[in-house]
Amino acid sequence: MIKITNLEKIYRTEEVETVALNDLSFEVRDGEFVAVMGPSGCGKSTLLNILGLLDDPDAGSFLFNGVEVAKFNERKRADMRKKNIGFVFQSFNLIDELTVFENVELPLMYAGVKKSERKARVDEVLEKVQIMHRRNHFPQQLSGGQQQRVAVARAVVNKPKLILADEPTGNLDSSNGNEVMQMLTDLNEAGTTIVMVTHSEHDARYSHRIIRMLDGHTVTENILV
Amino acid sequence: MIRMYIKTMFRNLWKNKTFSFINIMGLSVGLTSCLLIAVYIKQQLDFDAFQEKGNRIARVLMEYSFEGSTVSNKGNYTSVRVPLVLKNNFPEVEDAVILAQTKRIVQTGANLITENRFMYAGTSFFKMFSFKMLKGDAGTALAAPFQVLLTASTAKKYFGHTDPVGKTLRLTGDSNLYRVTGVVADCPAASQIQFDFLASFSSLGISKEHEESYWDANYTTYVLLRNREALTTLQAKLPAFMKEEMEGKHATVNFDLEPFRKVHLYSGYDAFLPNVPIRYIYILAGVAALILVIACFTYINLSTARSAERAKEVGIRKVAGANKGQLFWQFIGESALLCFIAVFVGMAAGALLLPAFSRLIGQPVAVASLFSLPILGVAAGIILLVSFTAGCYPALVLSAFQPVKVLKGAFKHAGQGQRLRRALIIFQFIISVFLIVSTCIIQQQLYYIRHKKLGYDREHIVKLPIPFTVENTDLIKSEFKQDAGVLQVARTNNTPVNMVSGYNMRTPDMPENAQIAVTANPIDNEVLPAIGLQLAAGANLTEQDIIDANGNGGANERLYHFILNESAARQLGWTPQEAIGKKMFLDESRPGYVRGVVKDFNFQSLQHSIKPIVLFSSTYGGTLLIKISGAHMPQTIAFLQSKWKQLMPDRPFEYRFLDDEYNDLYENELRFGKLMNVFAAIAIFLACAGLFGLSVYTAQQRIKEIGVRKVLGAATGSIIFLLSRDFIKLALIASMIAFPFAWWFMRSWLQHYEYRIAMSGWVFAAAALATLLIALVTVSVQATRAALSNPVKALRSE
Repeated sequence: MIKITNLEKIYRTEEVETVALNDLSFEVRDGEFVAVMGPSGCGKSTLLNILGLLDDPDAGSFLFNGVEVAKFNERKRADMRKKNIGFVFQSFNLIDELTVFENVELPLMYAGVKKSERKARVDEVLEKVQIMHRRNHFPQQLSGGQQQRVAVARAVVNKPKLILADEPTGNLDSSNGNEVMQMLTDLNEAGTTIVMVTHSEHDARYSHRIIRMLDGHTVTENILV
Repeated sequence: MIRMYIKTMFRNLWKNKTFSFINIMGLSVGLTSCLLIAVYIKQQLDFDAFQEKGNRIARVLMEYSFEGSTVSNKGNYTSVRVPLVLKNNFPEVEDAVILAQTKRIVQTGANLITENRFMYAGTSFFKMFSFKMLKGDAGTALAAPFQVLLTASTAKKYFGHTDPVGKTLRLTGDSNLYRVTGVVADCPAASQIQFDFLASFSSLGISKEHEESYWDANYTTYVLLRNREALTTLQAKLPAFMKEEMEGKHATVNFDLEPFRKVHLYSGYDAFLPNVPIRYIYILAGVAALILVIACFTYINLSTARSAERAKEVGIRKVAGANKGQLFWQFIGESALLCFIAVFVGMAAGALLLPAFSRLIGQPVAVASLFSLPILGVAAGIILLVSFTAGCYPALVLSAFQPVKVLKGAFKHAGQGQRLRRALIIFQFIISVFLIVSTCIIQQQLYYIRHKKLGYDREHIVKLPIPFTVENTDLIKSEFKQDAGVLQVARTNNTPVNMVSGYNMRTPDMPENAQIAVTANPIDNEVLPAIGLQLAAGANLTEQDIIDANGNGGANERLYHFILNESAARQLGWTPQEAIGKKMFLDESRPGYVRGVVKDFNFQSLQHSIKPIVLFSSTYGGTLLIKISGAHMPQTIAFLQSKWKQLMPDRPFEYRFLDDEYNDLYENELRFGKLMNVFAAIAIFLACAGLFGLSVYTAQQRIKEIGVRKVLGAATGSIIFLLSRDFIKLALIASMIAFPFAWWFMRSWLQHYEYRIAMSGWVFAAAALATLLIALVTVSVQATRAALSNPVKALRSE
């Protein structure tokens, strides 16, 4: 599904140049669950942003389902993103002014799904993440675990081929964290490819493979399954 | 999708109540002001629009001068000959009508009612003007003498619900009864021709002799042209024609044609209502635009300042698949919706404020006019304009956020749009300082006008109209003087507030045809002491002078005595001292001697310079000026009224104070001053609201900095200074930029006044200081709150 080759990303300010990704290459196959680990500043999040088509690399190749997307413009990236990729963030990133239902409905709206179908799909996914009873609540009325479940529901409602999770349990206690990890595992078992950035060895063990990064490139790969 | 946008917007508004309130209130107040100003401007621009033939009608102005004189006079007066001549000699003229408005006293039973809007009109009146005839025949209603039409309100006032047609009215001083021949609809407020009674012009009994003369120009002529273009061709023909007409008459007379629909806003000569100078319309339109700009800038400022709070939403929406265009339109939609709410609130507020606004502009404004198509069009235009101008920048800023930065918290809001926000604040302050300076100078000028020493007293002087030729004046005077509060009783024709009658004068050394145009007014020997005119040389008129002017009751030849002002003496070639005892002629028919020369005084609006004037001895005149002490005024007035009832039973006691009459002269200016006060205050208030919103935001953004500083030992005062410093700097910069604009603009405005104040530096300094203070107070409210907050909370929240 994903093949990146010699990927480079450099952040420049007026005085400092920071190499975030340095000649990075790896592959993620369909249906794989990959964890990316490494110390802060090693380029994990940059990698995730590029994989999520939220950012573009300065050099290198990025094949997504066999299509070179590294040089896509914003419109094409947005289009590709909304059809194929779901995101789960550490800080949940729900829109405070929208209810649980509306937050989950959002990707379907931008994808132009009809209202009746939207309702059915949102209800289905809310049932799946067991948050249906809170569908009309606002994010600030939910616990962290509940918010992350909503975020997961939003990530999967559009049935993406790929889910990118950026430290999905970082703001959760262990019990809620485990629940979220189980959810991701279930999704993966249902066929969704998952790439997850994490600091947690515990969470990483849910994946099939761990890519360890340092200073913008991979140092080791551990296959767990 | 749209539903969700609306929901998001309303939830956002609710969540940020302070900002929402400031934004909606700011836009609503701005829009209410703009809509009310738009209603006023529309009313002024639509003046006389109901006249179907209005674009073919012209008003005739007369300009004349005497041979050898460099002074020419111009005014909205013509003689009865003018309509006849124009109609009979020029194919361009389809019809012409002559009008005269006067005051008449109507007797109904024992009641005497003074009617100020009694109009005499020629027979062509209804062929030219579109006043709606409710009863009677427009073709014959004014055909014969002593026929009168009443407006619907007047008919109701005098005859209740009975049909007035065929009934008669008695007017004092007229032996003939006036027969009511019809009823017309009330004159629209936006009409330069205003009347309650419309009587046949032939009732005035103008002699054939007058029909041959261009003098005795006391009437207004309107002509109906064959087509619009005829005005130019007719105007071009008039000088040559009039030159021939005035051949050998030692004077030049010419006529200017004013397009009917331009009279109200563009003419320097009032119609039957005071005109409104077009510059006031421009100024008010400018003020409306400035108010709207301030409201928009506040919106832009608060929206971009708060962009950080919306950034997360933008990021999430982008991640969820929204593209930049969709987000752009979402935010434009939000500002459109906000504007729509503001327009809705503005319209409602406008409707509620309309009565007060009507009083302010001195004209009735119907609520319907606020909801008329053009005003709704203006409202819709404002929604579109404000949505795009105010919404565009925040929409562009917000929709361009990089989701990566936003969602990872790397988004730094401090620098985002800060320069623009500063520029907008400076601009708002520029407008505020400009309006403060302008309003101060306008008020100073108006104060100057109202309190300028005019060369005569106008305090504690009662003006009482009397019949022009009433003979028992001496009796009235002596009876009035029985009250200790009455100091003087003088008789004059015009009051010193506005003396306008045109005469001509010469010395015996000058040939008869070398006349000098001059304003003149008949007075008696008590006018000078009553109004406190200062003699520069000679003496006041004596009682004997008044008797002589009457030819001793007709037994002798009339002999006149004159009081000149310094300008008149100078024009005749004399110093005040030289003038005393000199012989001169006023209108040839009044030979006499100069008794005294008074110091120059302003006998017309201060928009005009002091001109020569001759006050001549006379026993007639339509006005009594009663100088009272001012002590026990109500009793004195009551005494005058009781005496009046005894002595003049057929005249109502309708007095006015000379002060009030003077203020009437500047009605337009005073009204304009009030409008400027109100709208400048609104503009300043809106600028402050925006500033307050921004200071709240700044304090919120710097809450951690404040916490750290406090922990490190900063005093409250230093934190207030820290938060206020930037705004103060901006206010100072704005003042410096605003000053030259305000100076230039007010200099042009003052040019319209012959007598004007000199713009002093302290007004500018005070305006800058006021702006600084307003800014400081506004900002320090929030700064103080922030400075007094518990630093632990601020630091913990990080």
